[in-house]
Amino acid sequence: MALSPPSPTPSIFKKKSNNSLSPMPSAASYLSAVSQADARARGHGATPTSTPALSLSSSVTSSSEDTVLDESEDNTDGLLHPSKPPTSEQVFTTVHAEFGHCANEEYRYTSKHDPNTALDHVDIDPPYYILLSTYVSYLLLIVIGHMRDFFGKSFRPSSYKHLMPHDGYAPMNSDFDSFYTRRLKLRIDDCFSQPVTGVAGRTIVILNRTTSNYNVTLEFTGNKTRTLNISSYNYLGFAQARGGCADAVEEVIKRYGVATCGTRLDSGTTDLHVAAEALVAKFVGMEDALISSMGFATNSTFIPALVGKGCLVISDEFNHASIRIGVRFSGASVRMFKHNDMGSLETLLREVISQGQPRTHRPWKKILIIVEGLYSMEGTLVNLPGIVALKKKYKFHLFVDEAHSIGAIGPHGRGVCDYFNISPRDIDVLMGTFTKSFGAAGGYVAGNKTLIDALRLRGHSGTYAEAMTLPVLTQIVASMASIMGITPSAAPIKGALTLNPSNSSSTIRASDVLEEYQHPGPAPASALPPWMNLPPHLRDGSEGRSRLRRLAFNSRYLARALKKLGFITYGHPSSPIVPLLIFNPGKLPMFHRMMKDRATPIVVVVVAYPATPLISGRVRFCLSAAHTKEDVDVVLKACDEIGDILDLKHGAGERWPLEEIINRSTELVNQ
Amino acid sequence: MNSTAATSVSSTLLPLFAILTSSLSTLENTFYKIPGSQVVARYVKSSHQNDPGRTVLELILVLFAIRTLLKSRTRTDRTGKHFISFSEKEIDELVDEWTPEPLAQPLSEWEQHDLSAVSVVQGANGPRPKLVSGKTVLNLASFNFTGLAGNEAIKERAIETLRKYGLGSCGPPGFYGTIDVHMDFERDVADFLGTEAAILYSQGFSTISSVIPAFCKRGDIIVADRGVNFTIQKGIQISRSTVRWYDHNDLKSLEEVLESVEKERKKRRGPLTRRFIVTEGIFEKDGKMVDLPKLIELKLKYKYRLVLDESFSFGTVGRTGRGLTELYNVPASQVDMLVGSIANGLASCGGFCAGSQVVVDHQRINGTSFVFSASMPALLAVSASEGISILRNQPSILTTLQENVRAVHGVLASIVGTLILIPSHSASPIIHITSKPQSHSSLSPTAIPLSVSSSISGKSNPTSIIPSPSSPSYSVAEQIFDADAEERVLQEIVEECLAQGVWVTRAKRLKGQEMVERKPSIRLAISAALTRKEVEKAAGVVKAACVKVLGKRK
Ligand SMILES: Cc1ncc(COP(=O)(O)O)c(C=O)c1O
Repeated sequence: MALSPPSPTPSIFKKKSNNSLSPMPSAASYLSAVSQADARARGHGATPTSTPALSLSSSVTSSSEDTVLDESEDNTDGLLHPSKPPTSEQVFTTVHAEFGHCANEEYRYTSKHDPNTALDHVDIDPPYYILLSTYVSYLLLIVIGHMRDFFGKSFRPSSYKHLMPHDGYAPMNSDFDSFYTRRLKLRIDDCFSQPVTGVAGRTIVILNRTTSNYNVTLEFTGNKTRTLNISSYNYLGFAQARGGCADAVEEVIKRYGVATCGTRLDSGTTDLHVAAEALVAKFVGMEDALISSMGFATNSTFIPALVGKGCLVISDEFNHASIRIGVRFSGASVRMFKHNDMGSLETLLREVISQGQPRTHRPWKKILIIVEGLYSMEGTLVNLPGIVALKKKYKFHLFVDEAHSIGAIGPHGRGVCDYFNISPRDIDVLMGTFTKSFGAAGGYVAGNKTLIDALRLRGHSGTYAEAMTLPVLTQIVASMASIMGITPSAAPIKGALTLNPSNSSSTIRASDVLEEYQHPGPAPASALPPWMNLPPHLRDGSEGRSRLRRLAFNSRYLARALKKLGFITYGHPSSPIVPLLIFNPGKLPMFHRMMKDRATPIVVVVVAYPATPLISGRVRFCLSAAHTKEDVDVVLKACDEIGDILDLKHGAGERWPLEEIINRSTELVNQ
Repeated sequence: MNSTAATSVSSTLLPLFAILTSSLSTLENTFYKIPGSQVVARYVKSSHQNDPGRTVLELILVLFAIRTLLKSRTRTDRTGKHFISFSEKEIDELVDEWTPEPLAQPLSEWEQHDLSAVSVVQGANGPRPKLVSGKTVLNLASFNFTGLAGNEAIKERAIETLRKYGLGSCGPPGFYGTIDVHMDFERDVADFLGTEAAILYSQGFSTISSVIPAFCKRGDIIVADRGVNFTIQKGIQISRSTVRWYDHNDLKSLEEVLESVEKERKKRRGPLTRRFIVTEGIFEKDGKMVDLPKLIELKLKYKYRLVLDESFSFGTVGRTGRGLTELYNVPASQVDMLVGSIANGLASCGGFCAGSQVVVDHQRINGTSFVFSASMPALLAVSASEGISILRNQPSILTTLQENVRAVHGVLASIVGTLILIPSHSASPIIHITSKPQSHSSLSPTAIPLSVSSSISGKSNPTSIIPSPSSPSYSVAEQIFDADAEERVLQEIVEECLAQGVWVTRAKRLKGQEMVERKPSIRLAISAALTRKEVEKAAGVVKAACVKVLGKRK
């Protein structure tokens, strides 16, 4: 595995030079200042379309709004200001570095199911020499690692002391258990746990690190770099320090403070919890919902209240760790089925129902199938139509973890049910988290009232875990309401539906056996606390809709374009998570470093074994509504160049040159 | 000289070589009897000739393939001896016949009442919150021990942070979710306690249930208190380690268990495994406090690592709220894994584990709820840091808190022993109140029977969490009760207090899911934000309610 990138060609790896006093930054800031003045003037004008209620200070584009690196930062990399200044008609209410300015209505798409898209997960194999070299790389790493351990123990026993029994204590972690961490992961540790500062929005500021001892310790250089962020789970771009949601959060802190000081069942429930739960239920289209202060704990503490001894959990093989922990807490038996493979699932169902419990052959008390809506490492969407059809036949209960899909998928952002046009009531438990699309923290479970009440009382969280804090709740309510739009008064939901023109599209049809998805409609005004004053473009849902459509465009564009460039990617074309397969363990850190060292630095997530199967090391892109089309172009250009250097283009199918892809992007997306 | 020695050696070794060659040739013969073996042999020979390195490589690949094959074999149960094969039609029938239970049993009437009786705060929680019922109450229910809730300095810092960092971190710590303010908090808390390092978890409840399995694996030994809280129980459960229990807060019993474990190990001459003592500083269950110096002494003597849950003692005891280590003047570095709750101690959200650099780094890779969960929102971490600096600079807060705790004990003293029992330590900021059991004869028949597997010696069986009734620390008052009836009586007291403007709560439990059933209690949480007068008034109301409700029972 390479420890440092090879001497790069200067054209690609032009580091941000400190002496680049190019006219660009001043020009850009000048333009930005002009547009800002423009916007302010419009704000004072009486045009009804402008948004007088916007608090001007916080909503209008301004470079000085960004408080992290405001001085001294130049714009050579195009991260701070748009490369094209806005025209006088355009009003942008966001900070470009947090949420990119993109006015072109062509760069929009609606995320909805097309029955012709295959849902199965297919592993695409690279050429044999790649496979072989991947195996050999791991083999080498392992052999060298063992050799170093062998000689190290003989010649430098002091550095192995903590791995050996000493003073009558067994080692905290034996040399064997930590082999992978010490001998493989350490080599690429600079690609993980990169500390950052500021908002995890469209761009993110990383704290630069160096190492003088091959990653044993990583020291901060004291410098920071603004990078294009295509790694955070910021699907709808709600990670913002400015704007309506942040204003609402500030308001709640001013009024009420931070803490709730207790668990939900004894002394930590506030009216805001109750309101937020009602809103979540409405959002996902279920009878009731409950909120927990951590997404991980939502799975690990509520699954044990659903199943126990004598019950069987059937779990997708790629399910998240929180689900596995929850199942282990519960004491139920577990079986796994092949990722998203309905055939494997049905075979397994027939086996377990007919065989019953092990040894006794008593029938299972219940069978709960747990799947994720969108898989965070593969980018696959669950085959929900398939599972719901099986559910009708096999009578199991169904739990869908929508951690990544809620907000990110579906014409109204309501997750996989919305996407596949399936009634949420066909599913027993809908779980999701607020850490991703909503830019908040925590998670929810939604279902029928009986179920949710039982979970309130019997889930571990209600009794023992701290309640969600007020700022987080406010962020959830504000962001969710702005995706939904808010009914001005107690208008009937049918009438309000016209707010969402995309819903009327009659092309969305699931198979006839399935119940149709009833769009749950906008949020009732009563769901919001009276003091929460969202700006009009959030209240009417127009911004929420635009975010959904921008995310859908960006996701599809990147996935399709990478394919056209010749890369092997996994996942569903609508998925905002796009894994690009790299295979070789040596190329992973190379890719990471080369992306980070570009003129426009890009931070990416690379994952390898054990998070993925041994050979399929990959880089994972997470798109956001905050990205502009130009940002995706930047990523594509970087991938194209690095892909050539690292020999990553092994995909089948037609290839287009980069220029063509960039020019024909809308065609590519709408294909 | 040399050569003669060599020949003599070779002559003595000759018979050995003969045996070796003959056995090798028989092995060869049997190998060639296997059909197809000729082809394999030829292939290996020729490839070895061309490239000796390749043989090694291929051998490893073959071994790898065999291993994967064996692995996939174990995955299906079809070969098991309990497998019954059915025809497709039979399976269809079985599928039709199978009727699963509903996913959740509806709540019983009492449970429903319990749920609807939960008080909801209107707006901000604090020492004198307004409930949605419109009533403003004195708060003896919420964990606001040092009165940090609603603190203006914290609010200011939180807003500042919001404007710089936004709210959510949008990623787990491994993938751009490690924010500088997280590292600041970790440094602050390590510095505050005097440990090398600390690690921040985003939920207090999920901290220790993740810390324990990060270190304790199958084959390791955990010696734990019988009274540990629910989340520790869960952590122990999934660690798959061997567990030995000692009597609740009884360090003599602990020593006996440690001794017996050591004896057992010597007898079996087993390898040295990791050994842990897991207990709490102030017990969530009843507010008892562990004797830390003695505990440390035992841990050092028997060479155990100590996992100490300070969820209720961090931020509540000691001169500046550093917890038990400050109270007993023990260096925090002697506690291997010191787990604290930010939610309880610093009125924010989250938890931490402080310890040596090795301990902390290990969790950054192995702590499941750390690795697989989004990191904490920046403003909560900053609020927690600010909380620490407030505690550091204002020791008077802790003095007030302790005075208030004493005041409550003072007011309640007159009915302790006659109507109620208080198992909690006199410095504990949570005070549990249980009803004093009536005489044995009047116990209702549904009371928990003593189905205890006890040894005759009077000692409890360390493999069971249930204590022996004849063990010295076994108290009848704690073990024999009718939980349902008790809960109803205590709820009556809670509601009576609420009617009088004092908010208290029962310590809620997860019936049927905990390893042992706890005696129901009312849990008072004392706050430094209340004045002495208010505390006394509130305690007076609690006392009157106890007298009114429990007195009736007599
Ligand atoms: C499928 C799934 N469930 C649950 C979680 C945990 O959520 P959180 O990060 O909010 O704790 C995640 C997060 O990565 C996830 O991917």
